[in-house]
Amino acid sequence: MNLRKSSLFRYWGVYVLLAVLSAVVLFPLIITVSQSLMTNQEVNRWPPQVFPNQPTIESYQLVLTQQDVRLDMWLRNSLFAAAGYTLAVLVICTPAAYAFARLRFPGNKLLFAILLVTIMIPGQVTLIPNYMLMRDLRWLDSFNALIFPGAANVFGVFLLRQFFMQIPVELEEAAVLDGASYFGRFWHVILPLSTNALTALAIFVFLGHYNDLFWPIIVTSSLETRTLPVGLSIIQSSYAGQYRPMILAGVVLSTLPILIVYAIFQRRIIQGVTLTGMGGR
Amino acid sequence: MAENTGQRLTEPRRFALPFKLNLRTREALAAYLFLTPFLIFFAIFFVRAAFSSFELSFYDWRLLRPNRPYVGLDNYVDLFNDPIWWDSVRNTIYFAALTVFGTTSIGLLAAVAVTRPVRGQGFFRILFYVPQLMSVGAMGLIWNWLLSTQFGVINYLLSFIGIRPINWLGDPNLVIPALSMSTIWWSFGFPMLIFIAGLQSIPEHLYEAARIDGANARQIFFRITIPLLRPTILFVTVTGVISHFQVFGQPYIITAGGGPGRSSWTVIIYLYQQAWVAFRMGYGAAVAVAIAMIMAVITVFQFLLISRRVDY
Repeated sequence: MNLRKSSLFRYWGVYVLLAVLSAVVLFPLIITVSQSLMTNQEVNRWPPQVFPNQPTIESYQLVLTQQDVRLDMWLRNSLFAAAGYTLAVLVICTPAAYAFARLRFPGNKLLFAILLVTIMIPGQVTLIPNYMLMRDLRWLDSFNALIFPGAANVFGVFLLRQFFMQIPVELEEAAVLDGASYFGRFWHVILPLSTNALTALAIFVFLGHYNDLFWPIIVTSSLETRTLPVGLSIIQSSYAGQYRPMILAGVVLSTLPILIVYAIFQRRIIQGVTLTGMGGR
Repeated sequence: MAENTGQRLTEPRRFALPFKLNLRTREALAAYLFLTPFLIFFAIFFVRAAFSSFELSFYDWRLLRPNRPYVGLDNYVDLFNDPIWWDSVRNTIYFAALTVFGTTSIGLLAAVAVTRPVRGQGFFRILFYVPQLMSVGAMGLIWNWLLSTQFGVINYLLSFIGIRPINWLGDPNLVIPALSMSTIWWSFGFPMLIFIAGLQSIPEHLYEAARIDGANARQIFFRITIPLLRPTILFVTVTGVISHFQVFGQPYIITAGGGPGRSSWTVIIYLYQQAWVAFRMGYGAAVAVAIAMIMAVITVFQFLLISRRVDY
């Protein structure tokens, strides 16, 4: 107890800094939630109010019943597309990473060097040709366009290769003595030992896709195939001037799923950032 | 790679193949099988696309016209002579510089604070990473409202210290700093977490030695923490510049596609406008190639700049 008191005293500067940062981080979020519970008149008032006089869920009902706002459908699309994309990345990249980490084959070094170089090339150069390809395949406005074009995730291969290389070879040797094939070693030895890396990669690949805006804007066009971020930009352009609480209600509803996931997996996510170097922007 | 693949494994049990393969061939065969799905997707959606972009940039191809004449370097010449492009480049560099400076310094500050032996360390880490999890759509809608001149809460707070309402999103000189401010709020959590890992890898005895030598907190920070964090700072700034140079969502949503006028057009907004609003695909491809080249130059330049100063 004594020690703690002295730390409180000794680090008062740190506590002040933490309090200021917390206020800065929390303030926009609190305003969003509380103003989403206000009426339109209350929001358009000077000075602005931080807390509603009489909280109302009117704007939540409004945002869920507009003809051109389909939050439930957009949420479903976002979740489905992000899950499909994550699965595709894992299925495609994990075996490739294993081959690079463990197997000898002609061209191993050359192929890997080529991948290293391509990571320096920004993805924008692929946008127009891939968009044209989606058009030619008639994949525009479909989940295929949201799932497959980015599935060969070079960064994911690097990350998993790095991780697989740290697993002692002896463990695989034991499996070989038991008669395991290459696939058996990969499936029964490597994968079970890599769940941390695999879940971290999966979480950030999922979040990155869930929050992506540019590609979904250009490859989706109908209200029914939009994803949440695109949907929010549609709400903004059609209702910005008039129904602010409704827009903020849309923000709250679309962010809630992510925050729930974060509340459950926060330790894993925080650790995953340092483990993978992903999760930034 | 070499140290692992160099170790020979005992021979696995043979498949019931009708012919015999030696271990080497079997291993290579297995490797290619493991690689095939990845290589197919990579070849189609990256290699083909990148080359095709390069090729397209030499054609005047508009989506709604049947023919696409070869125009040589005309697209690049047009791009070079377009003042709007250069404005977009300037805006983007300005935005990226402000944002990376902000996220790096606030991220470092926050990391130093939460690695002190204070209560609630874990809680603050989790809290400061929350904005990062929001989509640019959600974050953009919040900040579009916070920064509103008439009813915005930011202007309200500023009125307490006697500042008159600021037209954040309507003033061409303020719109980039305003977008940058919102982005710093949104994304300083990532550099913070990276810095925490970097700080924890600095051995404690260095700090003790400095304290015994009578160094104060400021000296310790600038003479020990900062120099030893240099690789981490390099990582954070390089990845930060690369990702913030590709900014699109903030101007697309907060300033309705890059307003007022074209004051917050970034290079990706420019690309979007050319390729998906004006449907000039050939010209858009040239824009994409130019963006890639600028980013390559910036990255190399940063590496040279920071790695040069590591010697003590």
